Amino acid sequence: MGNLKLTNVTKAFGALTVLHGIDLTIDDGKFVVFVGPSGCGKSTLLRIIAGLEDISAGGIEIGGRDVVQLSPAERKIAMVFQSYALYPHMSVRKNLAFGLENLKFKRGEIDTRIAEAARMLAIEPYLERKPRQLSGGQRQRVAIGRAIVRNPDIFLFDEPLSNLDAALRVQTRAEITRLHRQLKTTMIYVTHDQVEAMTMADEIVVLNGGRIEQVGTPLELFDNPRNLFVAGFLGSPRMNMLKGKVMAVGEAGVTIDVGYGAPLAASIDPAAAKPGQAVLVGIRPAHFAVGDEGLPFVVQYHESLGTETYVYGTLEGRDEQIIVHQTGHFAPRSGDLLRIMPLSGRVHVFDPDNGLALPQTVSQRSDAYEHA
Amino acid sequence: MSTPKATDLGGRALDFVMGIVEAPINGFERLMGRKRMPYLFLAPNLILFGIFTFLPIAIAVGYAFTGGTGLFVSDRPFVGFDNFRQLLQCEDYLRPGSCRESLFWTAVWNTLWFVGFNVAATLLVALVTALILNRAIAARGFFRAMFFYPVLLSPVVIGLIWKWFLDRNGLLNAFLQMLGVPPEIFLLDVGWSRFFVVVVSVWFHMGFYTLILLAGLQAIPKDLYEAAAIDAASPRRTLFRITLPLLGPNLLVVLILLMIRSVQIFDEAWVLTNGGGPGTANSFIVQYIYQMAFGSDLRLFGLASAASVLMGLVLLALTLIQLRLGRKMES
Repeated sequence: MGNLKLTNVTKAFGALTVLHGIDLTIDDGKFVVFVGPSGCGKSTLLRIIAGLEDISAGGIEIGGRDVVQLSPAERKIAMVFQSYALYPHMSVRKNLAFGLENLKFKRGEIDTRIAEAARMLAIEPYLERKPRQLSGGQRQRVAIGRAIVRNPDIFLFDEPLSNLDAALRVQTRAEITRLHRQLKTTMIYVTHDQVEAMTMADEIVVLNGGRIEQVGTPLELFDNPRNLFVAGFLGSPRMNMLKGKVMAVGEAGVTIDVGYGAPLAASIDPAAAKPGQAVLVGIRPAHFAVGDEGLPFVVQYHESLGTETYVYGTLEGRDEQIIVHQTGHFAPRSGDLLRIMPLSGRVHVFDPDNGLALPQTVSQRSDAYEHA
Repeated sequence: MSTPKATDLGGRALDFVMGIVEAPINGFERLMGRKRMPYLFLAPNLILFGIFTFLPIAIAVGYAFTGGTGLFVSDRPFVGFDNFRQLLQCEDYLRPGSCRESLFWTAVWNTLWFVGFNVAATLLVALVTALILNRAIAARGFFRAMFFYPVLLSPVVIGLIWKWFLDRNGLLNAFLQMLGVPPEIFLLDVGWSRFFVVVVSVWFHMGFYTLILLAGLQAIPKDLYEAAAIDAASPRRTLFRITLPLLGPNLLVVLILLMIRSVQIFDEAWVLTNGGGPGTANSFIVQYIYQMAFGSDLRLFGLASAASVLMGLVLLALTLIQLRLGRKMES
């Protein structure tokens, strides 16, 4: 069984604590992505699960078994490294066989498993080649193959796509997802690329400064970020932030003044806000409608990607950059004044003091609106 | 060619030097053309190399075909292959006594035995030391320095130190006596003296080879060991299946350098054994060459040169094997 339970996992290098009491449960068969900025501790956490790093405190269970004292080999995990870490002096076949030989598997069983993994990953033609005779993408597949033949309870991936070019990355991303559907084995995947996180994960764990900021499905995190960090980290371009003040608190939510005489409505739990309270209002670029009324937006420049357009500018008289996303062709000129209005139900409100999101009356859901 | 204006002292010193060499270098470049400039920079080294390496080789090859005791070529009669015939004439090469130049063949066999034991022992000790120093042990830098320091000493100093240590009244005997073991005259016993010639050579040179192997070990990516740990490889299998194969090129370099330098054994052994003793037990090829040419007024420059040429050919063969194997490993 490939379920994983981390309890209060703490890791310190000397005086520097890099993981502060991580609690996390991952169910069997899930594809979980650890995402966060450089130095957030995501790779360290993965290496701790693998047994390549010791923990300073806490507990780790894999399949209900306490594995803290077990070596990497005894944990029934397999890992795909960022650098692939293929043995350069061995052929692809020997790279795949090495782990099984160490575990004293019978020759016939080794050959069967290699043949199966090679077919699954389409690396049969390269089995007798050395790693240096392969392209980056082929090496990547061999590295995954080496993990597959072990038939582990958990697959660990440490930024496996970061050495591939953009096109190959998209392709390999899809392949890993397909592999997960086929194998139905727990996979833990570390990346700093939020697109990988959003597209591949059943569940995303957002890490920052050695702490878990939020755990949830990609859309849960996108729609209901728990704090300013998650709101800013997921979604590209990042969420726009406006300073505002709570004007009125009603049963259905609150109204917030961000200036310009255009109050914004937000579905915030009335108990969580009081009139006069300073707040930060977060609105994703795609959640603005351009129309006849709303906030005055002065265009600086725009980027046309064909199917979509990003317009960069500021609110009239202010300095903070605001990005507005529009589908299709849209070509405002620099200096144009547009009126932009947040879509109803797409306004996030944060407490500027602690960065936490104010609780919503109803969870925002992606399927609750049609435009974005 | 202009140099950027530097404000720091080093920069100013560089400006000063560049100011001096700029004009002549520009002049040479106009004279020779840019394409031939590299040869200008190589010339000083090539000239030194020519005078002190290539020219002596040519002289030695020439002398190998001459006889007599004269120092200058003009005083030496041409004798063809006589010197080589004298060296190689033998009833049974395994019995130096049956050879015309028995001393030469004694030296050849002594050298071969020395090379065998010395190469094996030094390689093993250097490898084990490098493997230990590559681990995260306490005071690693200190130990690395300790093992390297003997390399910096002069061979004669090494020979003298060990002689004091091994003498009849030396440190080792004093220590043995303390333990109640009767003293041994190590350097007058054939077995012990040969053993200690190897020990001293290993102690003297291992630091250098350890350094080469350590560099090789550190070039092996750490994640290969992590992959091996996840692949359930035992420490033994990790050593034999990962570390040693990946250290192959460095091991080859060490092996060949070690063989070449072992064949050339002379100075420290000469001092330690008082000129190859006891008897001819530690008489090696270079010692034979030295003795024929410069020892006790023999002045047999022709014979010594012929022996040098033969030894040079063996070393050349070893070097070619190294190059061949090195290329094979690369491909």
